[in-house]
Amino acid sequence: MTNRQPLPGRAKTLSRRRFLRGAGVSLALPLLECWQRRRVHAAQEASQPRRMLLISNNLGVLPEPFFPTTNGVNYELSPYLRELSDFRDRFTVISGLSHPACEGGHSTENCFLTGAKHPTSSGFRNTISLDQYAAEQLGRQTRFTNLNLGVNIDKANRSLSWTRDGVLLPAEDSPSRMFRKLFVQGSPAEVQQRLQQLKRRGSILDAVSESTRQFQSQLGRQDQARLDQYFTSIRELEERMHVAGEWEQRPRPETSLEEPQDVVDRALLFDKFEQMLMISTLALRTDSTRIVSLMVDAFATPVFHLEGEESSTTAYHPLSHHGMRPDHLAQLEKADRRQMALLKNLLTELSTTSGETEPLLDSTMVLYGSNMGDANTHDNTNLPILLAGGGFRHGQHLAFNSEQNAPLCNLYVSMLQRFGIESESFGSSAGALTGLELRV
Amino acid sequence: MNSGLKHFRLVLASITVVVHLTSALHADAPAQPEPIRQLLTQACTDCHNNDTAEGGLNLTAIPWDLAQPENRQRWIKIHDRIAKGEMPPEGVDLSPNDRVALLTALATPIRNVDAAEVRDYGRGPLRRLTRDEFEQDLRVLLQLPHLDIRDMLPHDRERNHCNKVATALDFSRVQLEACLQATEAALIQAVATGTTPRPAEHHRLLATRMFSASGTFGNREAMFYAKDSKMVPLSGADLATLRKENSHDPEMELAIFRSASWPYFGYPDTFVAREPGAYKIRFSARAVLQQTGFELTPAKAPIPMTFRARKRSDADVSGDVRATGGVMDVQPEQAVYETTIRLMKNETFEYSLLGLPVPRAINEANRELYYRFPPRPPEGHPGIAYQWLEITGPIDPEEWPPASHRVLFGELPIRAAKGGNLAIELVSTAPEQDAVRLLDRFIAHVQRSPTSAVARELYHQLVQDQLKAGAPLAEALISGYTAVLCSGEFLYVREPRGSDRAGAVADRLAYFLSECRPDGQLAQLANEGMLLQPDVLRSETDRLIDAETFSRFINNFSNYWFSLKDIRRDEPDPRLYPEYRFDDYLIESLEAESKTFLTSMIRENLPITALVDTDFAYVNDRLSRHYGLEPVSGSTIRRVNVPEESPYGGLLTQGAILKVTANGTATSPVIRGAWIAERLLGDPPPPPPPAVPAVEPDLRGAMTIREQLAQHTSDFSCAACHARFDPYGVALENFDIMGAWQDRYRNLAVGDKVTGIDRAGHDFVYHISEGIDASGTLMSGETFHDVTELKQLLQSKPRQLARSLLEQFVLYSTGTPARFSDRSEIEAILDDCEAAGFRTRDLIHGLVQSRIFTGAELP
Repeated sequence: MTNRQPLPGRAKTLSRRRFLRGAGVSLALPLLECWQRRRVHAAQEASQPRRMLLISNNLGVLPEPFFPTTNGVNYELSPYLRELSDFRDRFTVISGLSHPACEGGHSTENCFLTGAKHPTSSGFRNTISLDQYAAEQLGRQTRFTNLNLGVNIDKANRSLSWTRDGVLLPAEDSPSRMFRKLFVQGSPAEVQQRLQQLKRRGSILDAVSESTRQFQSQLGRQDQARLDQYFTSIRELEERMHVAGEWEQRPRPETSLEEPQDVVDRALLFDKFEQMLMISTLALRTDSTRIVSLMVDAFATPVFHLEGEESSTTAYHPLSHHGMRPDHLAQLEKADRRQMALLKNLLTELSTTSGETEPLLDSTMVLYGSNMGDANTHDNTNLPILLAGGGFRHGQHLAFNSEQNAPLCNLYVSMLQRFGIESESFGSSAGALTGLELRV
Repeated sequence: MNSGLKHFRLVLASITVVVHLTSALHADAPAQPEPIRQLLTQACTDCHNNDTAEGGLNLTAIPWDLAQPENRQRWIKIHDRIAKGEMPPEGVDLSPNDRVALLTALATPIRNVDAAEVRDYGRGPLRRLTRDEFEQDLRVLLQLPHLDIRDMLPHDRERNHCNKVATALDFSRVQLEACLQATEAALIQAVATGTTPRPAEHHRLLATRMFSASGTFGNREAMFYAKDSKMVPLSGADLATLRKENSHDPEMELAIFRSASWPYFGYPDTFVAREPGAYKIRFSARAVLQQTGFELTPAKAPIPMTFRARKRSDADVSGDVRATGGVMDVQPEQAVYETTIRLMKNETFEYSLLGLPVPRAINEANRELYYRFPPRPPEGHPGIAYQWLEITGPIDPEEWPPASHRVLFGELPIRAAKGGNLAIELVSTAPEQDAVRLLDRFIAHVQRSPTSAVARELYHQLVQDQLKAGAPLAEALISGYTAVLCSGEFLYVREPRGSDRAGAVADRLAYFLSECRPDGQLAQLANEGMLLQPDVLRSETDRLIDAETFSRFINNFSNYWFSLKDIRRDEPDPRLYPEYRFDDYLIESLEAESKTFLTSMIRENLPITALVDTDFAYVNDRLSRHYGLEPVSGSTIRRVNVPEESPYGGLLTQGAILKVTANGTATSPVIRGAWIAERLLGDPPPPPPPAVPAVEPDLRGAMTIREQLAQHTSDFSCAACHARFDPYGVALENFDIMGAWQDRYRNLAVGDKVTGIDRAGHDFVYHISEGIDASGTLMSGETFHDVTELKQLLQSKPRQLARSLLEQFVLYSTGTPARFSDRSEIEAILDDCEAAGFRTRDLIHGLVQSRIFTGAELP
């Protein structure tokens, strides 16, 4: 961390040009190396690795300039989406989605990737988030099963990432700390301790496997089939643990990059967001992980820098309750457009970085959205959702019913399937999302 | 057009598959007995043949290979359609004698083959514990009654409205990993948190420290501080000064008039649980009414309240929200109340007053967002005024180390740990020997049947290896215990058969009626070989039904079979039913009603017809209003008599059932009818064809549901099927989406206009139009005028009602659906119960004593 408080006008100097200088060269090696190793090591993974980057701004965007007014393939780009016109064919904008019965204003922010219902009612417990579910199904095939990042985030209370039993998984909000995790080897003692844990788990599996064989010998034919599932599970878990152990001992990818200096000023929301997007890109391109979630905690953002010398007149949350005041709307529009510009940079970066066989963008599903359809009225329906990359046939506005929304989890099912997970359902889904096809 | 074409292709594809499969199988299939072939040719194969496979059924292509389970199932289905008289259709030549002959000719070989399979391989496969059972077992074994690990495990699959079906309880890598993690988490919770109990903190809060802020959403009407029953308008700054100077006035009261719905943060000024655990709460309060000018007068009736555990995350909620400490009825006279709440680390608690209004956010252009409180009723806003509150906790047991710790480590001395993952470590001069001793003791404690010497040796080895690798004794033992609790032997329940039938019957009985492993007495009776004596088995069954643990059976069984777990699925549509907006108290009361009813139905051995009608109901203050019965006061559910002319009484017309069979916006005779056919009468309608959309309610009121249905089912093939179950649902049209009585339909456009402001401050407008016609004709030709007459018709089928419930008990208790070869046994149980009117406890006894349950006669 640094105490340096960059001036708003100077924020750009910290940004990606300096940060990524030379990155292409020095990072190509570890990426390629990983890929080749994987081909040797894991013959079972015949298919192309799939990735996901899941981004939510918990106050959303102004709906009017975001959503296109025409549908289908030949839709007309909305004012905001014009910022992304270079990528028109690489993303799909989706309207008419929400999480059914997920209401309660800002309380829904923790449900963006879970779809859990009634987050403010007695008896509420959050459920597993999309990133955790995907990580669980995928197992550890990379150094990190997933990364959970945050910008300006209230780490104790907000996260996109939740366990099955509703435990908040705290987000990492420091790019420099994340950088060290990615590129600097942990202490030998820590590595040793984690290996010890894996070994212990392995011994437990050996014991249950053998003792269950004893039990099995007393059973009939019908029972054997049920127990086969149990033995298969043990075998699969052992394989995953073996891979995890290998990862512990494998050196981190090398990099000539300097550790980034964290922007600490909470007012520099977009500079912080940009840094986190860079770290995300770096993690994906080095195949350090295939799943990244990133919450932009606009709610916790104080008066913030908009552009040039201009800052917002109030904190982000009161600003979002604009009550149609023109000055507030104008500021929100600037904030939204800056995010669109960041998104454009991200897509540019991912599309010009080569992955295994195709640009990284084609193997990476980039989701940008929010739990807020309209923050002004605390509306949690008609959520702004944009999906880029990942090898889908894009270039369309998929419009679902704005009165009777389709479940957002339908999109998650489609994404899981694209990720290579044979899931028929997730959260409150009612199947996969209709109209979202793979690119041929 | 397009979807029709797709449908056609699908049918073609499936037919092709069938033909290929069957021609492959035909070669080895035994020849069909001649009488069957003849009668099928005479009555069936005109329609169900190679060319015109009506309904997708080609009788000439189903091999008579009954040993093959799928083929057997198909022949059973054919048998059952003929037995019910649904097939062949009218006009086909099959005399009553021929029908009986055909049924016998089909049933005998099917039964023989099925019985032989049961004899050779058992009634069904072994079954994995559900996550509820697993958690409950660990709670009991580890003496951690509040252990909360269930949600760490993946959801169990549901089949036939049951979560205990052996073939649906799969196992996977994810399941195994979660199981290991949950077990370790449980074991770690069992270990002492230190060498002595945690010190309890004590706080006494006067009224001006009891609430987070000087006001809440909903303006002054929602909450204020008062003295001498008059509001004292404290600003945020005033409150801060009071708190800073600690100059709180003991005469002040905190008065709250709203529900704990979002947005709300009605928790104390600074309290947060630094340690997870139990906290004792004492408080002084009285029920009041808020009058004009914010004056307080004594309430006319008690106000129910509970506490909600949550994080201190201001208005927006993060993490769990739980009602805790039970419901207390605060009386108009000031009194002291006491309860124990459970908090997780970093949680606090807020006041949750039940059934009170909810403020509404108003978001007008060019104005700040504000909240409006609903208008004051003539008698005043009901609420609670608090004088003070005390918190003491965490409350650890006096006995230390706690019982859960001693389950793991006996009486070994402990000291503060120097390293590792636990707060304490064990003091042992001979760790290897202590490890063996404690491990054997633990295995003896948790095993349901004897653990083999080889398996025990494996666990010993695991622990010794851990010790050698340098693990502290307690951690090495936890590795061993984890293995024991995640072994196949622990996770799977066996089918009773052979020599150790008693043990397996004990397991089955306990998991059936208490959702948990056998307790000491049951296990002992099994060990001593006494349990299989009919009188012993009977008294144990009675003991479990009367035990407190029976509530777990009621919960789980009714959650699935009667779908009560879906009671919060659909929000009542506030456009049509504004009176139900955010009424959580009503929903909780409805759920409690149905569960209390089912408990008493079994405990008091009521006849099966109680599902349809009784002359009593279970209600509290809210439900007596909801059902238009004599008002009662207080939140406790109690039994009241139902007047002759009331449509209430019996499970069928309880609000919980009527809510889960509606969608929050409109009622549907189709859904409700299908529910009655399946869950009460055991005659589930086949699934609808895939291409047909559901009936969408017409909220404009242009068309009644009857007209819509008539249109929907105008197609002959639809109508034939719908006629079997829709009429039941029609009789329930007089009950709205929450089960309240309605004479006319509501809609958004036509008829008398009703306006007002609802309990959450929203303006509403709806219309009332058509009167409801709840009359109908059943498939059998029987007619009814309304629900009362339908109830009479249903009550005249007690054997069918009893069979349906009994078959569900078979599935629920054994994990395997009632088999064809079980049918004679099921009918015999029904015969035995008939004279007394098919009483529900008798049905359970009949099942438990039967060979279906005990595995008697199996080798």
